[in-house]
Amino acid sequence: MVADKKKLKFWVKEQNSLHKKAVYGLVFQGFLNVILGCAQAWFLARALACILDSSMKGFLSFVFWFFAICLLRLGLNVVQDLMAFSAGQKARSRLRRQILAQIFSAGPSLLRTTHSARIAALLVDNVESLEGYFARWLPSSVLWAPAQWFVVVVLYWQNHRAGLILGISCLLLPVFQAVFGIATGRASRKQFLALSRLQRRFLDRLRGLATIVMAGRSEDEAQALAESADELRQRTMKVLRIAFLTSASTDLVMIIALVGIVITESRYLLHTGSVEQAASALFAVFVVPEAFAPFRAFSAAYQDRARATETAEVAVSLPAVETDPAQKMAVSEISAPVTITFDHVWYRWSAERGWVLNDVSFTLSPDEILLLTGPSGAGKSTLLELVLGFIKPGKGQIYFNGQDSMTIAPASLAQTISYLGQKPLLFYGTLKENILFARPDASEEELHSALKAAQLEVVVSQLPNGLETLIGEGGFGLSGGQIQRLAIARAYLKKSSVILMDEPTAHLDRETEQEIILALKPLLKGKTVIIATHSEEFDLFDKAKSLHLLHSNVSNDKEEISA
Amino acid sequence: MKSLLTIMALWRPHKGRLLLGVIMAALAFGSSLLLMGQAGTRLAGAAIGIGAGFYLLRFAGVARLILRYFERYMTHDALFRALTDLRVWFFRKLAHSSALGIGRKRSGDLLSRLVADIQSLDNLYIRIIVPLVVALLSAPFLFVFCAKGSIGLAFIVTFLFCLMVIGVPLLAGVYAYRMGPHLLKARSALYSQSLDIATGLREARLFQAEQRMTDVLFLKEQALYKAQRHEVVQMTVCQTVAAFLSRCGVLLTLLFAGGVYFHHPDIVHNLTLFFVVMTIFDQFVDLPRAGFLAGEVLHAAQRVTEPLTSEGQIIDHGGCAAPVAYELVAEHLTFGWQKERPLFEDVRFTLKEGERIALLGASGNGKSSLTTLLMGITKPWEGTITLGGVSVSDIDSNALRQKIGWLSQSSHLFDDTIRNNLLLGEKGVSDQKLWEALEKAQLADFVRALPDGLDCWVGENGSALSGGQGRRLALARVLLREASILILDEPTEGLDRETQEEFIRTLNKLDARISVLLITHRMTGLEKVSHVLRLEDGNLKPVPF
Repeated sequence: MVADKKKLKFWVKEQNSLHKKAVYGLVFQGFLNVILGCAQAWFLARALACILDSSMKGFLSFVFWFFAICLLRLGLNVVQDLMAFSAGQKARSRLRRQILAQIFSAGPSLLRTTHSARIAALLVDNVESLEGYFARWLPSSVLWAPAQWFVVVVLYWQNHRAGLILGISCLLLPVFQAVFGIATGRASRKQFLALSRLQRRFLDRLRGLATIVMAGRSEDEAQALAESADELRQRTMKVLRIAFLTSASTDLVMIIALVGIVITESRYLLHTGSVEQAASALFAVFVVPEAFAPFRAFSAAYQDRARATETAEVAVSLPAVETDPAQKMAVSEISAPVTITFDHVWYRWSAERGWVLNDVSFTLSPDEILLLTGPSGAGKSTLLELVLGFIKPGKGQIYFNGQDSMTIAPASLAQTISYLGQKPLLFYGTLKENILFARPDASEEELHSALKAAQLEVVVSQLPNGLETLIGEGGFGLSGGQIQRLAIARAYLKKSSVILMDEPTAHLDRETEQEIILALKPLLKGKTVIIATHSEEFDLFDKAKSLHLLHSNVSNDKEEISA
Repeated sequence: MKSLLTIMALWRPHKGRLLLGVIMAALAFGSSLLLMGQAGTRLAGAAIGIGAGFYLLRFAGVARLILRYFERYMTHDALFRALTDLRVWFFRKLAHSSALGIGRKRSGDLLSRLVADIQSLDNLYIRIIVPLVVALLSAPFLFVFCAKGSIGLAFIVTFLFCLMVIGVPLLAGVYAYRMGPHLLKARSALYSQSLDIATGLREARLFQAEQRMTDVLFLKEQALYKAQRHEVVQMTVCQTVAAFLSRCGVLLTLLFAGGVYFHHPDIVHNLTLFFVVMTIFDQFVDLPRAGFLAGEVLHAAQRVTEPLTSEGQIIDHGGCAAPVAYELVAEHLTFGWQKERPLFEDVRFTLKEGERIALLGASGNGKSSLTTLLMGITKPWEGTITLGGVSVSDIDSNALRQKIGWLSQSSHLFDDTIRNNLLLGEKGVSDQKLWEALEKAQLADFVRALPDGLDCWVGENGSALSGGQGRRLALARVLLREASILILDEPTEGLDRETQEEFIRTLNKLDARISVLLITHRMTGLEKVSHVLRLEDGNLKPVPF
């Protein structure tokens, strides 16, 4: 846990330092604003002092300068707001790029530990939640203390008594903040787990609402929800009570300063009434809010700090971008046709989980098919990922055409292999775009021969806009069989020498399955193929070798089923 | 607008507390004015030689401190009570419609957004209603206070103030309301692309599409950021206009105090007036932001109160207990979701006690709608459905759903213990009954082997269990209710081939007295089925097998 905290701190620090220049720019502007605030207070004080003096000497010019500085501040605020926002966007965009690079570097194996929705939420929601952190919290956290003391010093220089009172109040501020802040932190930590559990429960119950209703339990659930929501309220109020005390302490400090200054200045004025004195007293009163404004802004942004830690927690769990020296040296390419050899390969995901693949060896020549069978979790998908090069063997070697896989450039490996899984990716775009995803620079003829080979032409004719029909989330819904044909079309387009399939017909009914296998047969001619499957339909492939994997135990069944 | 009224109506029980919160806020603001006013009076008085006690000043200071604390406390307390009611109301409302959607899976993303919407309604009260009401109360006060000095000044200053607290926030609100959907759409597009990347990491590697997908993502990001920039610019403009109006108000008051126009002799009064007016303007200069929030909150309110129920839906009702006999008979059944397109027309259907029937047909609303009819969630256009001779609409809804159990791939596993997943909040059920249900679902050995047994956590969506185990848990849950009839809607969908076969074997071993309606799209697992029907062209046709 401590190591994690260190990592979090380091991550946050790194983000802060990348954003440094923008923060200093904003801090500078903030400081300028405070200086103008003092000037504004001064001219206002002088103008009012003129009134008290009844001489009205220079009144109009003071008023003019007061208003001019007000307008100047307005302009400065506009610049500040826009700059803060723009800097915040830049910081977020940069962070997003960094996270995306990490995600791509970690690769598909990331999905074994993290749900895809969590990854998407990290990329979008978590990064966006940092808006306040970059644009408001960082600059205000740097600005508030220097700005506050600048005002105190200026006031002291102008009016010792008032300056002293303001100075003492400002000293009290961090003391109160510390006392109540710690109490708030402790209270919220105690409640936080309970709070988040209650929130999650609400969402979870909503998700399973159909189940609850169909079981006739909706009224009881509604009651339970009311109770837990009330508990949520009570816990939240417990935390807020203390948080409000913290705000009250800030109020207290400001009121002490204000009331203290008014009383002492009034008493002094009674004895020594003069225009300058009156102006000085008024200046002191007007400058008090200026001293506390930066702190107010800082407190208002305190929620944003929590967002940074939340995001850090998820971001830190992603592995750093890989700069594997071995990979850097991998430059060789593979050429068709391809022979794959597994030489005493062992693999495990982690030391605790044990070896998934024990001493697997086989040789697969071009135009040969290897059927991988075995129960779920026996390691079929793992073996395929080893071939794909997404993971590296713990022990043993994998050879492609006699070359060690570690010396082959990952790009070359990716180019050589096509993969058909259970749920091919469909993104929101036209059918054409989805197929061309495999190779965007393919020609029209190549596209059409791929469509023909995958037996998609009939499907295309049935779609409302043919190839231009929008599919994917929110688009036209394709059936399981149609989606697999799309994946086959992609494989045709890619023209790779090695084809891997991971239970491609698992979710299809028998009829569709047979059709898909028919569509596959010509694709597999002359290629090196590995198919992981449960289905007996694939036994119809002649010239197939088979490899049966069992849990932490491999039986090397290399039967050659003769034609 | 209607949605806001709906929410206000829901909050009526808490009227007292909500009002108290507003009153506290008004009083707290009043004490601020008193404080600043006194500051002005004392200093001005002292400057021209009038001394006086500072009791009022000190009192105002203390009052402000205490009232501000209570304002915060009471407004938040009232709000949370109101939000609790809103959540329960929303839950009940969603419960009615969700049963209709049993064929379709509701997006988790949509739900999270709705929950966030409810959360954001707290802005409605605390950041919008309370400050707005206090501002509106201040306007007449401002007028009266200035009128003592000069009616002319009162008019000018109050006019500027009203522009600032009504005009500008209104503009901001209208703008935010219009921009809301654009921002939401842009953000959804960004999320979709991120999800595509996350789910397609394999394809991205294989087709070397990582750079391409990155480019698309950042295009979407730029679209969102452009919309955000637009909004920020608008907001800045509104805030600047409000600040400008505020400064003008202060300037005019200052000039008046200086005797430049509308003369008034009492200097102390003039200075006090200036302090008070300045405080009022400074307090509400931020109201445009509230206007912006209002635009967004209005959208949230609309989404939350959106009518989710549709025609022909039955709300849960009481009725007689379910009869002992459980033959299910439907006669002259006509029903559809759209008026012109009936899914069944004059359909006749019988499920005898202990009989097992399979219903085939392409995936779609047809077969699942039969479920909603049989379970009394929707009402047919024509025809009757009886259970053991009693019309389904006469039987108490909960009793009916105890009698007829439902299992599908959408049966949700809750992020809770095995025990709570089985009970679903029911009280007074012995552990022995739980184990019996687990035995029938052939999951008992697995649960016994777990370290925590029945108290083992199942994980979000049942992630701690495998697909097959999760489905069995859902089955055990249904069996616990001791239903006489089981409606199984594609019960093996989403499982791999081996697990499917095992699950079908378990289903076949169930008590022969239980009637089963198996809805499926494939001709497998029909060993114990006596006959098969196909839903085609609004009719149920027998299928030989």
